[in-house]
Amino acid sequence: MDDVVKLAFDIAAFASIMVLVVSGLAVIASLMGIFNLGHGEFVLLGAYTVYLFREWGLPIWLGMLVAPFVVGAFGAAVERSVIRRLYAQPIIAMLATYAIGLIIREIVRGLIGGQYYAIEEPIPGSFSVGGLSFSIWRTVIIVSTLGVMVAAWLFLTRSATGLQIRGALENPALARASGVSTDRLYALTFALGAALAGLAGALMVPLFSLSADLGVRFLVQAFLSVMLGGVGSFEGPLLGAAMIGSMVPGFQWLREIPGVGGAVSPVVAEVLVFVTALVIVKFRPNGLINSGRR
Amino acid sequence: MARDETPRRQLRIIPIIEIALLAGLVAVPHVTSDFQTIIASRMLILAILAISFDLCWGYSGIMTFGQALYFGVAGYVAALLANKAGVVELLLIIPASMATGLIAALLVGWFLLLGKRTPTVIFVALGTLTASYAAERLVAGWQWVGAANGMSIWEFAKVAGLEIEPGVWFYYFILLFLILAYLGSRWIVRSQFGLVLAGMRQNEERLAYFGYRVQVFKALIFAFAGMIAGLAGGLYAFHEGFIGPASMGIGLSTYAVLYGLFGGIGTLLGPIFGVAAIETMAFILSDINALKPYWPVILGFIMLIVVVWRPTGLLGVILSERERIGSFGIGARKKRKGGGDGAP
Repeated sequence: MDDVVKLAFDIAAFASIMVLVVSGLAVIASLMGIFNLGHGEFVLLGAYTVYLFREWGLPIWLGMLVAPFVVGAFGAAVERSVIRRLYAQPIIAMLATYAIGLIIREIVRGLIGGQYYAIEEPIPGSFSVGGLSFSIWRTVIIVSTLGVMVAAWLFLTRSATGLQIRGALENPALARASGVSTDRLYALTFALGAALAGLAGALMVPLFSLSADLGVRFLVQAFLSVMLGGVGSFEGPLLGAAMIGSMVPGFQWLREIPGVGGAVSPVVAEVLVFVTALVIVKFRPNGLINSGRR
Repeated sequence: MARDETPRRQLRIIPIIEIALLAGLVAVPHVTSDFQTIIASRMLILAILAISFDLCWGYSGIMTFGQALYFGVAGYVAALLANKAGVVELLLIIPASMATGLIAALLVGWFLLLGKRTPTVIFVALGTLTASYAAERLVAGWQWVGAANGMSIWEFAKVAGLEIEPGVWFYYFILLFLILAYLGSRWIVRSQFGLVLAGMRQNEERLAYFGYRVQVFKALIFAFAGMIAGLAGGLYAFHEGFIGPASMGIGLSTYAVLYGLFGGIGTLLGPIFGVAAIETMAFILSDINALKPYWPVILGFIMLIVVVWRPTGLLGVILSERERIGSFGIGARKKRKGGGDGAP
């Protein structure tokens, strides 16, 4: 029983990170119709900001607070300089974001080398409830994800800008005709999506270690989440993210079962996640959520 | 496109480039040192890989970010044949690696392209990327195939019983296969099959109305491209005497995309020039130590610039739109802008 609770807690922590990553991706994809292939590298940039703060001798938590703003500003700059030109051609835009991702990844690789850096948790230690101990940092991750999701939901449903965003999502031409500047909205959305990725990167870096190829891994997992959850709805990708996020520690946990454990190395566990997700996508091409609804 | 009412003779540039390129490639080993010939041989192998990317993206609109997968798998099969079964005869290795690439691409194509739902470009792009990434991770953790260290082939390859080592003869051997791959691809894209591909590029929906099973055509050309990539992989494993996880991962896949886009997609010749240009730059820059770690960054910027400002690549500078057969997405877009889509 204790094991199950601990596993559920770990799953919740990993799923939270995936939800953060995917929400940024989904916001951009659903509003602008552009699948940001550089999204994983925005996550990496968030993680790298935290690393920089540590290198400069500044507190890590400060880096984590600053990271979303840094990455958000970067996203806005990318939108202004490149993506803006390519609204009419989502596929070219996708290639451009891939190139941007490549640039970020290789610059970070040049700066930190091929190494892996472990970054300690800003609030180490654990607390115990009913005889079980929980890591404080993972709790922080879960709570902040919930907080961000609630805030985003309130922003979209209650604020005036949120209304404009929903309007532009339904019908961009009509939104423009009604005097809503979709250009401004798109810039805002892109910055917001990048900021979410930055936050995810900053929060998760103590759990994973920092390396240049971090972003690719998150891009692939985010893509599988979107495919699992189904495209089109907003909650679909998030549920998909929760599933992918839970599969990762779930399959790793398989290794602790005697008998099976030997056959499942960490790499196999990771690849199993891909295979499972792809098989589900193959047989439920509209995603789990959408196909259930129809 | 085909609505020019005045059929006038136009100077065809592609045949001229073809002949000039062939003459140039034949002459290369006579003007370079042995070391440079080996570098040039590697470029030819990469050119085969780049052609396979062009077949997918330039000719059929299949965005593949994982073309190195077939290259790598075939390379591993070649290395395994050499190390575990003692087969170093290239006349056996090459069909084996082509078959490997073909089968791998058939599997991935079946999975990604032949679904119940017509896959979007983005789904295919990320699906191929995922396949390549997963394969790289898997191989890097698999002890039997050398894990992260890859596999070395210690013996020299043989052609019809004669030993062949990297150098002038190996160069010509590879050149022969590059020519074969090029001619084979050219034959396909100019055949009736290629006509269907061209129709698909123009208007996929309409072609589907005509009764063509568009996705099957895509899967077929994808498998053919995989076979060509496999050919390159088999040659690569023996030419370098080594194959590693990096040869099937997203790094090399990205390079394949880059070669194609830079040289000019939709012209089969473009990828060859793309490889030559990018690899020559890499070779020159590798002497400058300060720039070395940032070479991939430069490549990223090149890719960005090409994608945003020069989507037709190097060859697009000298070739007319008419002669550039491919340009999937770009040509279609221009047409739509002109309002001439012809839909009633």
